[in-house]
Amino acid sequence: MFGYIIINKAEMKFKEFDVYHSYYCGICRDLKRKYGTSGQISLSYDMTFLAILLTGLYEPETNVGSCKCIAHPFENHETRNNIFTEYAADMNALFAYYKCRDDWEDEKKLWKLIYGRILEGKTGKQLQVYSEKLRKISLYMQDFSEAEQSENADIDTLAGLFGKVMAEIVTPREDEWSENLRTLGFFLGKFIYLCDAYEDVEKDIKKGTFNPLKRRYESPDFEEECKTILMMMMSECCREFEKLPILENVEILRNILYSGVWCRYEAVHEKRMEKLQGAVSAESVSENE
Amino acid sequence: MYDPYSVLGVSRNATEEEIKKAYKTLSRKYHPDANINNPNKDQAEEKFKEIQAAYQQIMKERTSGFGGAGNYGYSGSYGSNSYGNGSSSDGYGNQGYGGFGYGPFGGYGGFGQSQETGYEENTYIRAAGNYIRNGYYREARTTLDNMGEARRDARWYYYSAIAHSGLGNNVAALEHAKRAAAMEPDNMSYRSLVQQFESGGSWYEQRQAAYGYPSFGSGNLCMKLCLVNMICNLCCCGSGGCCGLGAPGIYY
Repeated sequence: MFGYIIINKAEMKFKEFDVYHSYYCGICRDLKRKYGTSGQISLSYDMTFLAILLTGLYEPETNVGSCKCIAHPFENHETRNNIFTEYAADMNALFAYYKCRDDWEDEKKLWKLIYGRILEGKTGKQLQVYSEKLRKISLYMQDFSEAEQSENADIDTLAGLFGKVMAEIVTPREDEWSENLRTLGFFLGKFIYLCDAYEDVEKDIKKGTFNPLKRRYESPDFEEECKTILMMMMSECCREFEKLPILENVEILRNILYSGVWCRYEAVHEKRMEKLQGAVSAESVSENE
Repeated sequence: MYDPYSVLGVSRNATEEEIKKAYKTLSRKYHPDANINNPNKDQAEEKFKEIQAAYQQIMKERTSGFGGAGNYGYSGSYGSNSYGNGSSSDGYGNQGYGGFGYGPFGGYGGFGQSQETGYEENTYIRAAGNYIRNGYYREARTTLDNMGEARRDARWYYYSAIAHSGLGNNVAALEHAKRAAAMEPDNMSYRSLVQQFESGGSWYEQRQAAYGYPSFGSGNLCMKLCLVNMICNLCCCGSGGCCGLGAPGIYY
């Protein structure tokens, strides 16, 4: 369900990319420290956005370090760590757990179940720290999978439940910003959910699995409708973002929110259009014969 | 007259960045966390609340100004309805800046005019309208949903659109607004509601222009990166393919 909240690297300055990457490495280190290698494997770029967002908003003390990696053992590169890279690591682990459970319910793949169990024990440690948050998230997740099972095709309900989960994830504390952050997260979550549905719609139709966009897919305006809906989600999300007093790394965050989030959508869209054009031209060829 | 800009010590023409800077500087000074040992910490907290309220008000006004669209009060109802007391318990906040004429419904420029249709015969639709005017979107929703299909006229769809929007259901909101406008094309407030929902998109697109929309010609870099990113997510945290530009992945 993730991998949407990424940068558009083509439009990013090298310097900014280095900072971005240093947070990514920071989260990776926190993940390894707290959840071991199995946790590390689950790291996604989405959580890098979260760490940079919260760091920009709250400006906590940040440790800049460096590390070497196996791929490039002679090259040092920067890492940044603070309370929010740790928080992002926690949320990453939690989500990895839900993702596994989610897929298990969807597809019943055994290896994912095992993977899910490994992470389950590890996320259990968080239960005291974030118990309230986790309680909320698990309730929403439950509602979410029930709603999906009931084949309730209401996009707002389904995307909204996922949005509520994201709202909790992007809100680490209750304070003067929690309302803005929740709204930001809510629409970002809706965006993610719908992007995912958009990407999977053909596959789901073939397999006969649930997808909230199935009904719309038959419409000739499907592509346009999807784009409008996704655009609406991002504009609501960004409206909240712009209200936050973030100065540090704001260009990185804007690169993600205004450009990067469309990378995967555009990749899928482009591929679909090519396929469609291919089908049309094949048809016209056969008509000519 | 109360001027939030003077609280932050910036001019009315200040850029967003200047406002944010001013806010940051002041909030660092007066934030309760920075004043735990201050003998005058109560005063500091008062000041902090004032700064907070001023900042929130300015940002609210500015963001709702974008693209001429009103802020359709999502956060207000979202906070209090969907999240119970959780998010409104932040002490300062809701009450603090709720009363500046920017009520949850303040942004709906068209709404005042919409009453031109006058007295609403139907008790249910009138109740729904009242709920909406006061920001009770959930109650409005229930009332509207209880009305049978046969009674769903343009006004119903109009209210329904606003109620949906207030609850964060922006897909249904746009659909219902369009439906209302299609049923009564001459009604200005229905049409402007559609415009208002759609203008969010154009505001976003305007800003987007500065950051480059990812385009995918054949062999485009961005698309490759996307794919690389996806693959790399699977194979541990390295951003393997991205290393070419001087930022190696990490496998330690």
